[in-house]
Amino acid sequence: MSSKQEPGMSSYAGIVVGLMIIVVIEVILTYQHLPVRTLLFCLLCLASLEAFVGIMYLMHVKYESPLLFWTIFPATLFVLVMLNYLWPDAYRMARMSLGY
Amino acid sequence: MSESELTMATGHEVVMEASPYHMEKKKLGMWIFIVSDACTFATFLFGYGYMRVGSQNWGTPFEFSSILNGIIMTFVLLSSSLTMLAAVRATQAGQKASAIKWLGLTMLLGAIFAALHLREWFKMFGEGWGLFSNPMGGAHQFGACFFSVTGLHLTHVVTGVIALAFIARGYNRGRYDASHVETAGLYWHFVDLVWMFVFPLMYLMNAAR
Repeated sequence: MSSKQEPGMSSYAGIVVGLMIIVVIEVILTYQHLPVRTLLFCLLCLASLEAFVGIMYLMHVKYESPLLFWTIFPATLFVLVMLNYLWPDAYRMARMSLGY
Repeated sequence: MSESELTMATGHEVVMEASPYHMEKKKLGMWIFIVSDACTFATFLFGYGYMRVGSQNWGTPFEFSSILNGIIMTFVLLSSSLTMLAAVRATQAGQKASAIKWLGLTMLLGAIFAALHLREWFKMFGEGWGLFSNPMGGAHQFGACFFSVTGLHLTHVVTGVIALAFIARGYNRGRYDASHVETAGLYWHFVDLVWMFVFPLMYLMNAAR
């Protein structure tokens, strides 16, 4: 019961192939011997891009009422931001194990 | 209370207000479930990050063969999203035979994903990895994190295959309609998208040396 015109199956196939290409880019990046933080940042950016494309097109949020997007996106983002309270304690544990 | 019961109780016609989301209740319910489940997966992945940052000598067990297995699993899952979309399209067009065929293919791809995943798990068990064991002698938390996160995802895939089997049977018998298949499809795409985070974080980040 989407409100806008949805794309055809060929467009969906193109989107899925695009997601597969992003996965291949992730694997190539993994074997480029990047610093761990740089690799993590790149992988998270690519995974977020895949998730955004998937949610908007495969899960049809782009073709639903904008209210759905503005209901789910801020709530999920709020939880993700709040989960970052863990990091100071994780770095404290790392410092303790290194004997700082 | 139904609209007719409300009419009888109040003595005048009831005006039913349309949903601001312009979608059926079951689909909105699925979206609420997906948001809550996304938060569950996020908590697991943040917990994994917490353990990894706070632990020394984190395990890096994956050779390229495991990564290749992970790539195949990812492609299988992405392909299943496409077959799920085809199934939804077929149900919306009223093509019952085609819809059943696409749903069957989606379930088959889901089963292949689960089989590949279990093969990877048993290979790791054979090497000595477990929930509380690390044959490399480093942090034991690797096994706990890896098997918890991938186990939660595998449970979702297996549950999805079973749910799709019920939906396909109900649709074939006329008990369910296109909206049921579309709602099940939302769940399936969500499981697919979660893997887009699990694969790079659990596999690729533990292959990097």
